[in-house]
Amino acid sequence: MSKRFSFGVYLLFAIGCAFSYQSFAQKDTIFLAPATVRGTAPERFMSGLKYQKIDSVTLTQFRFQNLADILAYNTSLAFKNYGPGALTTVSFRGTSANHTAVLWNGLNINSPTLGQSDFSTIPVAGFDQLAVQYGSAASIVGTDAVGGSVLLNSTAPTQGFSAAIGRQQESFHNSQTQAWAKYGSALGKNWAISGKTAIYYGNMKNRFPEPTRRNVLLLPTQTIQKGIVQDVFLRSKNNHELSAHVWLTDNALTINPENAAGRELTQTQAYRTMLKYQWNDFSVRASWVRDIIDYATGDYSNLDHAVTDKLGTRIERDFHWNVGAAGKIQIKSGGEFTHFRTRVAGYERPEITENRGDLFLLTRWETTSGLLVSANLRQAFVTGFQPPFTPSLGVEYPLIQTNRYTLKAKGSLARSYRVPTLNERYWKTLGNPDIKPESGFNKELGIDQQYTTSDNQLFSFSATVYHNRIKNWSYWNPGNSFKVENLQEVLARGIELQAGWNASFRMIKTGARMNYTYTRSSQEKIYDAYAVDIVGKQLTYIPKHSGNVNLFTAYRNFRLTGQLLAVSRRYTRTDNSLYLDSYVLANLLAETNYNLGNMQLRIQGQVNNIGNSFYLNVRSNAMPGRSFAINLLLSYRSYTEADKKLK
Amino acid sequence: MKKQLTQGVLAASLSFLVWSCNQSDPAPKGDYVDGVFVTTIGNFRDNNGSLSFFKRENRTADIDVYATANGSGLQGGIQGYAYLEGKGILTVDNSSAGLDKVEIVDANTFEKIASIGAPDIENPRKVAFATASKAYVSCWGTNGDYMYSTGYIAVIDLSTNKVVKKINIAKGPEKLLVHAGKLYVGTTDYTNGKTLTVIDTNTDEIVKTVEFDGAPSPIGIDANGRLWVGAGRGISKVSLDSYAKGTLYAGTDASKIVGNLTFSLDKKTIFFMLTSDFGTKGQAYKVGIDDSVIDMSKPFINRNFTGLNVDPKQGLIYAAVDPNPVQSGYAVRYRTDGSVIDSIKVGASPIGFVFR
Repeated sequence: MSKRFSFGVYLLFAIGCAFSYQSFAQKDTIFLAPATVRGTAPERFMSGLKYQKIDSVTLTQFRFQNLADILAYNTSLAFKNYGPGALTTVSFRGTSANHTAVLWNGLNINSPTLGQSDFSTIPVAGFDQLAVQYGSAASIVGTDAVGGSVLLNSTAPTQGFSAAIGRQQESFHNSQTQAWAKYGSALGKNWAISGKTAIYYGNMKNRFPEPTRRNVLLLPTQTIQKGIVQDVFLRSKNNHELSAHVWLTDNALTINPENAAGRELTQTQAYRTMLKYQWNDFSVRASWVRDIIDYATGDYSNLDHAVTDKLGTRIERDFHWNVGAAGKIQIKSGGEFTHFRTRVAGYERPEITENRGDLFLLTRWETTSGLLVSANLRQAFVTGFQPPFTPSLGVEYPLIQTNRYTLKAKGSLARSYRVPTLNERYWKTLGNPDIKPESGFNKELGIDQQYTTSDNQLFSFSATVYHNRIKNWSYWNPGNSFKVENLQEVLARGIELQAGWNASFRMIKTGARMNYTYTRSSQEKIYDAYAVDIVGKQLTYIPKHSGNVNLFTAYRNFRLTGQLLAVSRRYTRTDNSLYLDSYVLANLLAETNYNLGNMQLRIQGQVNNIGNSFYLNVRSNAMPGRSFAINLLLSYRSYTEADKKLK
Repeated sequence: MKKQLTQGVLAASLSFLVWSCNQSDPAPKGDYVDGVFVTTIGNFRDNNGSLSFFKRENRTADIDVYATANGSGLQGGIQGYAYLEGKGILTVDNSSAGLDKVEIVDANTFEKIASIGAPDIENPRKVAFATASKAYVSCWGTNGDYMYSTGYIAVIDLSTNKVVKKINIAKGPEKLLVHAGKLYVGTTDYTNGKTLTVIDTNTDEIVKTVEFDGAPSPIGIDANGRLWVGAGRGISKVSLDSYAKGTLYAGTDASKIVGNLTFSLDKKTIFFMLTSDFGTKGQAYKVGIDDSVIDMSKPFINRNFTGLNVDPKQGLIYAAVDPNPVQSGYAVRYRTDGSVIDSIKVGASPIGFVFR
């Protein structure tokens, strides 16, 4: 970023802070509140672990962007990006892309063949709620939850009808279009039905004005992304709930679209479907997910086609006891069964099936003094081998709790595991059917504090330290023709600091939020003559320091937001002999809305990378410079009975 | 006074004379006028290969001299490098089609002069100078189907820095050798091509093709003025007049091939690798130019190298060691008796050395 622009950013933030001086009055509703968990969601048993919910204002601001964008600017997660609109994988707390569970309504949607998700293929428009749970929670959510979990959820719309259509027009001939309708109505005396239908279509042509930046080529790419989301909820007065969820996605990435002989297509499609039934403390779920990956170069006549079906069921039963002065005890017991069937050209057999089962027992004990203890047990079963028994223990305790100030301490000890991916087990020659599951041991401690001043400014601060050792880390060993081996032992440790401040003064609301993350993740075991050069070195593509800042000031309907993301150098070689430079990105968003009866028009202008910062992706190509976007969202909402009463 | 003046004028004239002599025959100035360059290809999808450099007396290398001189790297594997009279040419292979290039630099400072990309240059391999104003680059072409049927030699005019001609070569042109008005073009081991192509460097026309047992790789001209070519398991000595050849074979194992063939300083010995499994296994052997058989009883150096060259200044053997594409490679120096001297960390996946 040039000096002039960094000054500009600084000035902008200074203005944001200046507003704060005069601020008091009511609390701002958009502040990142501590999570409120509904029903018997597994999150309830994550005591002692850090949990961060992304607020709805942020979700709205990012609704034309993808999951990686929103997480990079709001959480401690780091991303490895292969180009504009191209593959984007996560690194959570110093782990690899395989160590983050991505859950959609509680179901792991990581690709079973790759064991990871491409975050660029998951648009924010595809879900209603987003939360991030830091640290190992494999005892609660199962495989992959080693570094942490990303939770995407659908919520049941309220009564009435609302609909919206939105369009983003961006630099480089990029555009996004989306539309949704939400509806809800009573169904006889005892039942209510509600639902949501959403569609989205994005075409990122990435026609950059210049093919290079500072003599470094930009990667020519085009991404066409489309999807449909359908949720239906049927609820009765006596606590029956039946819901159906469908999410169909299609993401076609073309590298070098203009080059007929050398273009490269990766098309990722997913059909995600789920049926859930819940009655009081009993719930059952059935799901079917199909993941399709097509890959081809040149004329596309010979598609490399891979299809994986995943059929799953899950049954849970909750138990509650009030134990008087000792508080309340809740137990969730359950089991999961998943059948995989996969057809991948590169596998040792044309069709491969695998069964996985899980039994779990989750407990939560909450005393009247506020002590919260979770003890969770899980045993997974997989065709061909047995993953390790996975217990965890979490504790939270409010050390200080007054009207204005709370200080809470938390801690967790957790085993974790990762079932090898289908590629790791079945890929011809390079895979290894006898690969062992990875096992990890995560320890963490944290504090959360919140302070409300007499003029209703809200300050929050949390700090977490963790230490996560992962054994039998499987590795596509580049020193052995990329055959998969349980070579590595990785120790990831780090510090996460999160601070927030919110205030309001009459018509002006303002606030700031920041994350700082220190990540030290290293290989600990020598496995060949040259591994001496890499032991103790930072794992590749994981920045030691990263941070983000969000500042906003709102006056009436007008809101100005500044976003800042800083990432330190990322090593590209295991011996840390080469690296991609650190970079800072700053974005500016301005938005306002106009109300016309039942209609609302929301306009958001966005300048991305205002400093025209130069940075490289993992293919060593330059990333785009400054860009502009304008977002329009036209929505309609029918008056509900409650609204009419208010009138 | 007059004497002093005369002396002064004399001194001034002398110093001017000395100065002008220096001017007419300057030693090249720059950080890279004396030392060893290492071509490294890095990790394929990361496009982070580089030209590493170290001075002969040093034990540490600059991993990427181009980035040091120009601020950022070249975005690809460096398949080849050659220089002549102040200009250097690098061939850069990117993992995506259409992003390959040759980069023309000041050979003394490594500052960028020009770059030539697609469609003139696609999948560039090796580079050789004919004169200070003309260079050849072997290219596989688009090669979208990996059948190696789209290859050519790109002829670069260094006065305009443009490709002025493409000479079609079937089966993946690779190693180049310029000698006495001829360009000798080998092919890659990835094909079943068995033809050495001879091009007249004045007309840039193909004047002769010579068939071998495997993919040919021209090595150089020996102390007796004969051309040597490695192909498959064979090493052939070829008459430059009649192209008549005699071949020695490195053992009888058909799964192995010779590669990285290089002459000793006196051009009387050839050091080479005998490898299998796409170069992941191998040992170094040697053969004298007048030997009647290759002594395969024991390797010259029992270690696998991905590059092997002899320094024409000191005669030491430089061997490239590639632990894996995601960590530093090594340049290991050996004496001509096969004893090791030292090693220097260089870029990942080193494949060859260029000496200056």
